[in-house]
Amino acid sequence: MRAFELVTATDCRHAVALLAEYGPFAKVLAGGTDLLVELKSSPHVPEVIIDISRAEDLKIIAVTDEGLSIGALVTHTEIMRSALIREMFPALVDAAHTIGAVQTRNLGTLGGNLMSGVPSMDSGPALIALDALVTVAGPAGRRQMPLAEFFVGPRKTILKPDELLAEIVIPKQNFGKPAHFVKFGLRKGQALALVNVAASLWVGRDKQVFAAPRIALGAVAPTVIRAPKAEAYLEGRAITPEAMAEAGRIAVGEAKPISDFRASAEYRQDLIAVLIKRALEGACAQAKAKRDRET
Amino acid sequence: MANVTLNVNGEARTASVPPETTLLKLLRDNFNLTGAKLGCDVGDCGACTVIVDGKPVNACLMLAGQADGRDVLTIEGLATLDGLHPIQKAFEDNASLQCGFCGPGIILSAKALLDENPAPTAQQIRDALAGNLCRCTGYTKIIEAVQDAARALRGEPADKAA
Repeated sequence: MRAFELVTATDCRHAVALLAEYGPFAKVLAGGTDLLVELKSSPHVPEVIIDISRAEDLKIIAVTDEGLSIGALVTHTEIMRSALIREMFPALVDAAHTIGAVQTRNLGTLGGNLMSGVPSMDSGPALIALDALVTVAGPAGRRQMPLAEFFVGPRKTILKPDELLAEIVIPKQNFGKPAHFVKFGLRKGQALALVNVAASLWVGRDKQVFAAPRIALGAVAPTVIRAPKAEAYLEGRAITPEAMAEAGRIAVGEAKPISDFRASAEYRQDLIAVLIKRALEGACAQAKAKRDRET
Repeated sequence: MANVTLNVNGEARTASVPPETTLLKLLRDNFNLTGAKLGCDVGDCGACTVIVDGKPVNACLMLAGQADGRDVLTIEGLATLDGLHPIQKAFEDNASLQCGFCGPGIILSAKALLDENPAPTAQQIRDALAGNLCRCTGYTKIIEAVQDAARALRGEPADKAA
């Protein structure tokens, strides 16, 4: 690895101050599972690495007035083990479990996975299906935006060089919303997604219809995307296997998968339709289990 | 230079290293603990696995500075003068390793699993070892060894039928 200067941030505020000082010449180190690989292979090593991995205030999982707040430095293992997340959002636990392997899940962070901006990330779809917001800390204070707007291209986020991703928030209105995540990779362990899908939905109060359905897809476009046409098709429609299959077919037209050494675009298109149906079935099964528990 | 002090296998160790030094390089080059191996150097193979504050991690993906003040367990910390650790013994008895390059990492991943889950299923063992690649034996004997070690650590006799 080429030489760099290492500075350690003690908390979020300190990290933002260090970014203000070094911003354009610096990169932020969280879990390191992506950054260290990049530093070892890239000829362009930043002059300064800002190590935020000791910023304890970025490692908190808590219910706040806004919703469920997950600090950017919470690791994938911590998500899998959080009693709160396991109870409230099992889809996030399932997504975290499919990332890398034990060793990388112990190091890698939720914020780091999102900051990577890779289209195949496994954290993105489930969070976007739950309308997650991200809180960004900068020199002028904090700003918040939907996670879906945070990604602007492959490996590109909306973040400015002097800003830091601080937390991820799942809004209160989605507490208890049934959601399901499915990933298709070439192996069960340590595989990137060929396609990953998350779906969330409410079941209508009086009738068995889809309400506020959300479908989010990874690895099929330059960023993680939603499938608004498929969502609009489902809204208010009776919950049937045919409707779920049709939503999958509609979403194929909303994605722009590429062919690469892992899979062809055509194969990914087939996967989109199948996985969306499975994600919707999973979310419906969860809704039913919840209703059975409550009655 | 970064000054680091960490507790390695129960012993306080100190070094002054360039900031870009990984934990793996620190262990191997500064502390002469060569049990953790440099394999892929990108976090895929698990040959560099060590246990930091109770959790298995890829030592190649952690900077030495990030390990400052932490507890690190390497394969050298398992056996005692009295003999091998029960997991090491089970790997020997089952002939689970051929070249052995993946062994230290796999055994430490297995230890981290068994510390938390004394009776894992075969699937749980596979999940815990998914980050450790072996290119010699296949994984059957490795999984059997972890199951034997689990029994031994629970104080049960070895399953002769298996």
